[in-house]
Amino acid sequence: MAGAGGGGNDVQWCFSQVKGAIDDDVAEADIISTVEFNHSGELLATGDKGGRVVIFQQETENKSQPQCRSEYNVYSTFQSHEPEFDYLKSLEIEEKINKIRWLPQKNAAQFLLSTNDKTIKLWKISERDKRPEGYNLKEEDGRYRDATTITTLRVPVFRPMDLMVEASPRRVFANAHTYHINSISVNSDNETYLSADDLRINLWHLEITDRSFNIVDIKPANMEELTEVITAAEFHPHQCNTFVYSSSKGTIRLCDMRASALCDKHSKLFEEPEDPSNRSFFSEIISSISDVKFSHNGRYMMTRDYLSVKIWDINMENRPVETYQVHEYLRSKLCSLYENDCIFDKFECCWNGNDSVVMTGSYNNFFRMLDRTQRRDVTLEASRESCKPRQLLKPRRVCAGGKRKKDEISVDSLDFNKKILHTAWHPQENIIAVATTNNLYIFQEKVN
Amino acid sequence: MDVEAKRIMALSISKLYSLRTQRGGLRLHRSLLLSMTMRAARDIYHTAQLLRDAEEEQVVPCAPDAATEEPMEITKDSPQTLTPKEVAMKPQEPIDAVEDDKENRCASERHSRKRHCKTAIEPDFLPLKKAKMDTDEEKQHLPGEVLRTNNGNSYRQAESLTAFPANRAIVAY
Repeated sequence: MAGAGGGGNDVQWCFSQVKGAIDDDVAEADIISTVEFNHSGELLATGDKGGRVVIFQQETENKSQPQCRSEYNVYSTFQSHEPEFDYLKSLEIEEKINKIRWLPQKNAAQFLLSTNDKTIKLWKISERDKRPEGYNLKEEDGRYRDATTITTLRVPVFRPMDLMVEASPRRVFANAHTYHINSISVNSDNETYLSADDLRINLWHLEITDRSFNIVDIKPANMEELTEVITAAEFHPHQCNTFVYSSSKGTIRLCDMRASALCDKHSKLFEEPEDPSNRSFFSEIISSISDVKFSHNGRYMMTRDYLSVKIWDINMENRPVETYQVHEYLRSKLCSLYENDCIFDKFECCWNGNDSVVMTGSYNNFFRMLDRTQRRDVTLEASRESCKPRQLLKPRRVCAGGKRKKDEISVDSLDFNKKILHTAWHPQENIIAVATTNNLYIFQEKVN
Repeated sequence: MDVEAKRIMALSISKLYSLRTQRGGLRLHRSLLLSMTMRAARDIYHTAQLLRDAEEEQVVPCAPDAATEEPMEITKDSPQTLTPKEVAMKPQEPIDAVEDDKENRCASERHSRKRHCKTAIEPDFLPLKKAKMDTDEEKQHLPGEVLRTNNGNSYRQAESLTAFPANRAIVAY
């Protein structure tokens, strides 16, 4: 299987798997809140509103049957966060997993960071397939042997056992955030990571849990003067001194930690002037950036606001190099979307392995593939109706107004409760994970 | 336009209220966006109101012309004369609640009521819960710690190594 070459439209996508309950009655705890492949793509982690993490593992490919693409099966499930209560503020702290980030693999075990609104945890996921047998003082079931019956000594030996995957919390990074954590990002130095809330960004060392460095603080002296908050933050993939953070005003700031200990002053400010013809009551809300992601090569970054995806060259601050409309037909519906709160939905976006295609979600369980090299885009749907193995996904079209063509869906028929906020792309292959409310769909490139 | 503005304003206020009872604590980002939208709608609505009031005043001196214009003005105004009262009634309830709720009262709140069309993030008639969160945060910093009280405009002594207070959230394993 070649790498993630070819654009989103050379690639034909087909259904591979779907995970999660089938029934329409969704338990709130099962709502998927984050999806992330690890660095090799072998593992796929999801977090949900109930504070659980489920990790899927790609089965090693069956060489004799190339048609049978490797599948992802449950590898480990654990409760990462529990609901907590902050007694000082009389506030409940939700257990919902906001983000998961994998650490690059250093040894046999896998490590990931998971965070809720207030606390970040480092989890170690390790395999155990052998266990010691033949203790002198204990029976195999754990009962102590009668000392008087022991006449010889033996050395316990390791014998194979059924594979057990254990997840254990190795570090808990707590009490560093007054506001709600929206992002975590592991540095390329593999020693530090950042966590960002609405007003502050902290730098942590993975080994040290009782303190962190505050590197960005945009809290005004008088909270009444607050005009913008931090919405996402990420480290540069190669430059360990560089990170970016996005704001609710649609700006992105690139900061260099070598410039000063406190990075309140940005090195670069990326901002596109607003189109005055598009001004409305809701301009502020729709310009708020919900996600920012560096490209794998580190030269570009992508931002997602409510209606569009923008690609920025980090060497050019005054405007993005590419802008893609995700669902422009919603611009005339902003008032209704404000009423039903959908206008506040935070969509994420992701790059494919070679940075040629980007993907983001929309409503009605639609998701969009935007091909940068061919300047084409396609809308696909994650639906139970297209769930036959290797079934090809058909492009979908939304009719903005006027006469609706045969295969089109009109804007008013879109189901705004079915939203795809979280998507992930395998780092090397054309395999994507798309989260609907409580299901995880895995699609793969069609192989002839 | 101002009907729309009023509707959005009312909608924003009710959303801001419901935010306060939501699980997980006050969402700063959401309340900021709601406040900004509400403020924009309120500004438009007030501007439209002022224009209407100005027009009414101009009608009165020109008596002969008013004979023909007045009926039109009255029919236009009668549905609208209700609305300022409606709007006035809504802020009354929260203001009453605020006056009873002494804990939340603070000097800045009185200032904000005097301001008209100023760049207030919080609507004037809502209790300033944000101020409370602020003071709580200040209280939690133990003496001797580095306290950040500005956003970089003044000389800051300690570099940003900030130790955080002991666990206050109970974590059960």
